[in-house]
Amino acid sequence: MSIVETSADDAKNDAEGRFHPHLLGRRTPIAIISGLATTVPAIAVIAVLLVLLSKALPAIKYNGVHFLTSTAWNPGNFYANPIVTNGVEHPILAKYGVWPLLAGTLESSIIALIFALPLSIGAAFIVAKKLPPRLRSIAGTFLELLAGIPSVIFGLWGALTLGPILSKHIYPFFAHHAPNIIFFRLFRGNTGNGEGLLTSALVLGIMVVPIIASTTRDLISAVPRLTEEGAAALGFTEWEITRKVTFPWISAGVIGATVLGFARALGETMAVAMVSGAVLGTIPHTVYSTYSTIAAAIVTQLDSALTDATGLAVETLAEAALILMAVTLLANVAARYLVKRVSSTSLPIGKGL
Amino acid sequence: MSPKKPLALAGLFLSAGLVASACGSSTSSSSTSSSSTTATTGAVTTTQAPTTTAPSFAATETPPTASVALQETGSTLLYPLFNLWVPDYQKAYSNITITTAGTGSGTGIADASAGTVDIGASDAYLSQAQVAKTPTLLNIPLAISAQEIVTNITGLTGTLDLSGSVISQIYQGKIGFWDDPAIKALNPSLTLPHLAIVPVHRSDGSGDTFIFTQYLSKADPSGWGANVSFGTTVAWPSVSSALTANGNGGMVTTCGATPGCIAYVGISFAQQATAAKLAVTAISNAAGKFLTPDAAGIQADAQNFISQVPANEAISLVYGPGDSSYPIINFEYAIVNSAQTDANKAQAIRALLTWAIDPAHGNASSYLSQVGFQPLPTSVAGLSLAQINKIQAG
Amino acid sequence: MSNKINAQKKRSASRRIANVVVLVLSSIALIAVVAPSIWIVFQILHKALPHFTFSVLTKTGAGLDGGLKNEIVGTAVISIGVVLLAGTVGILSGIFLAQYAKGRFASFLRAASDILAGIPSIVLGYVGYSALVVGFHWGFSLGAGVITLSVLVTPYIAKTTEVALRQVPINYIEGAEALGFKPTRVLSRISLKTALPGITTGLIVAMAISVGETAPLLYTAGYSQNLPKLTLTHSPLGYLTYAVWTFYNQPTKTALQLSYDAALIIMVLILLLIGVSRVIVAQTQRHAETRR
Repeated sequence: MSIVETSADDAKNDAEGRFHPHLLGRRTPIAIISGLATTVPAIAVIAVLLVLLSKALPAIKYNGVHFLTSTAWNPGNFYANPIVTNGVEHPILAKYGVWPLLAGTLESSIIALIFALPLSIGAAFIVAKKLPPRLRSIAGTFLELLAGIPSVIFGLWGALTLGPILSKHIYPFFAHHAPNIIFFRLFRGNTGNGEGLLTSALVLGIMVVPIIASTTRDLISAVPRLTEEGAAALGFTEWEITRKVTFPWISAGVIGATVLGFARALGETMAVAMVSGAVLGTIPHTVYSTYSTIAAAIVTQLDSALTDATGLAVETLAEAALILMAVTLLANVAARYLVKRVSSTSLPIGKGL
Repeated sequence: MSPKKPLALAGLFLSAGLVASACGSSTSSSSTSSSSTTATTGAVTTTQAPTTTAPSFAATETPPTASVALQETGSTLLYPLFNLWVPDYQKAYSNITITTAGTGSGTGIADASAGTVDIGASDAYLSQAQVAKTPTLLNIPLAISAQEIVTNITGLTGTLDLSGSVISQIYQGKIGFWDDPAIKALNPSLTLPHLAIVPVHRSDGSGDTFIFTQYLSKADPSGWGANVSFGTTVAWPSVSSALTANGNGGMVTTCGATPGCIAYVGISFAQQATAAKLAVTAISNAAGKFLTPDAAGIQADAQNFISQVPANEAISLVYGPGDSSYPIINFEYAIVNSAQTDANKAQAIRALLTWAIDPAHGNASSYLSQVGFQPLPTSVAGLSLAQINKIQAG
Repeated sequence: MSNKINAQKKRSASRRIANVVVLVLSSIALIAVVAPSIWIVFQILHKALPHFTFSVLTKTGAGLDGGLKNEIVGTAVISIGVVLLAGTVGILSGIFLAQYAKGRFASFLRAASDILAGIPSIVLGYVGYSALVVGFHWGFSLGAGVITLSVLVTPYIAKTTEVALRQVPINYIEGAEALGFKPTRVLSRISLKTALPGITTGLIVAMAISVGETAPLLYTAGYSQNLPKLTLTHSPLGYLTYAVWTFYNQPTKTALQLSYDAALIIMVLILLLIGVSRVIVAQTQRHAETRR
């Protein structure tokens, strides 16, 4: 079971030439039934969009453009009489802004990639170039295992094991020694209990490693031997070959896998909900700050939102979900555009094998 | 002032004794109670005269003979009590299956309102808007609960005194360290460390948040009351070190793992909080006295309000007057839709809730003392029973 | 000649050192990549095993005491439901995409499948709650949970089925046609049979996702401390990931223990599924080699 189906599109291209769809009857019952089944994902996508849009519409009207820039997350006073603004009933004082959540979503995912990308490339390089076949297979199994660990278990580990260790033994060292100058300033301050931006970004980084590493490994293995052997004959060291021959060959694919990993990290829910501190309405100002992401906010806030009798809180979560979908979709499309070789139906991180 | 007064005094709490004393001296509660009463269509808006005769529970206490499955969800504060009740109840009536879940009062209200569960548990009464949305929704008190404010301050011995306004400033980020002059002034005899304060609040919609923020609103009306106000979920001021936790259990665990933490925890989690080495803080009441929660303090505060409980029983018990009143107490509510579709289910809900408020069964001290709750006073039990009888099919 | 001289020049000490440094760094990267999976598994074993009792498997409960039987059965029921529903839809659409779909329509359907695969699972959970639990008045239920999860995994099953079918050697199909097989018979006897290992692998992935998912289930399947009833609506049910997520920060030792126990059972199930898929892949490869 490969983690990213790089072979999918190859197979498609190969098959296009030698496959004969007309060999099988187009009017047979199986053709009709399977045709209907194939529309299910399309119907599901449309249904998801319709439900979200219809739910979000009052919130879009009420929250306006400021939703994107405001840092408030004030559900308003549920115990006072609701009032009507712009034709939308809402609790008095209600004011929502998705910016802190969007910023938290993007920041944590970007930091996750900063961890995951070099680790994945380094590991893939060793696995593809240096390990004997047996060890290569074992390393592959570990990558599969890592991809197979559910998000909630990453969360459990992040909250109860990794977070406490970092906050007790690692973060205080950074906080103590980081100079008070730009960038490094972010490492100063209260290190908290381990829940926060850096810990959750680390966990997210570990979660996206399998996507980037396995793709990179497959891509390195697919580089034509002759090219590399030619370079070796010219007396280049392995690193030089990799840098000058292999990387240019695979870079587009690696970028695609990275963007794909980014898209997965954006939508990751449970692990972030458990390790971020799940605090709304604040933008992290140190790497230890507690925060939340759109996905984590939906899972932690939906139940309390349901107590808003005017429905605005639930509708606002739908609006946030639409923004998350838009950002994720953008990343997915970018990944597909960048590299046709990487199928977007790679396995989701933390969601199975 | 011992932080660990035994909670087992519950049994001594004679509900009949409550009736005589209280007479609406609290101005702070009247606004909330009256606004909620007017919301219920057809509800009696005048306050009920307390009845001294014990209500008759037997009439509604018999469940149907058919098999009925009931779902309960909501308040994590009420959850431990439900888990004491349910096994005994199912032993007595094996045809009734009851599913319980501690998901937070917000979920309890929302799910009962949406009809996805039969009984929602909540530490907060329904808002006007909720009643307007679902007019058949009832909030029925089952017991009296309280909340404790706990801290995790390394090396601190002795009970910390905190006023409502200091707690308000802590949760607004205006007081950031435990050795702040404002805290020192309240605790001249304690040696307080220079430790950052980590205020923890609930991430889920919560009745604990509701009564906690109600306390802050009443104790600090110009600060918290004007800027944040109260609710099952509020716009928490942005504090850089703040943490959130899910459920009362999460509050205890998170606070226990976080030096410098302050948290609000339902009394039913008092034992766990103590086990997690959290210290109970003495907080200021309306008379300016500092108290930790115990049976006497809860009773004293409850007495302020008993005579004012309206027919729909939506009333805040927070911050009553009196030197010995512990300021953060509340009714634990069952949120039920009175318009049921199934006659057997309606009967089963009536029977279960009646059993729960009956001092001979669910309201017995053998149950309540385990979670630090107090039984319903007789007059309130009567009002609850009247509401329970509204639960009908068709 | 100049090539040789250049090469010798380049083979300087600094270049060799750079090479070694990169190799060392990459090896550290490999260790950093492999370590977390070992650490996580070890941590779960370390926390769960010393206190593990088999009554966890046989008792129901909601975290205060008892066991995880309700969650185990719930996870099994949900997984089976997802494999049946998403399996049927996914395999059928895989067949269509591989055998019949052509041109723009096919690209549209594939794109829709890809978009669906990219939707964050919590968004599907939100929609499942709004549409099924509240909109259709199903309540928290098996039906709402299974449908929401099925929407999530169908694209994977469709994709693996399509890929497996496309890898069926064309001469198999041509041979069968030459023998006078009817098209449907070609499909069932030749194509599907040959593609079976690939399709099964897809189903195993779907199963692993069902075992490990949390976010789409919280607001659709709900939770119950009783054994699930086999009704599709109005009856919530427990599942293992709920136990991990809800019990982990409860202040009682029992709850924390049950959280780790649930995590252990989830990891055992996932390791089993990885193992099964490995066996299938290995067998297929052996089969392919003997065929050659």
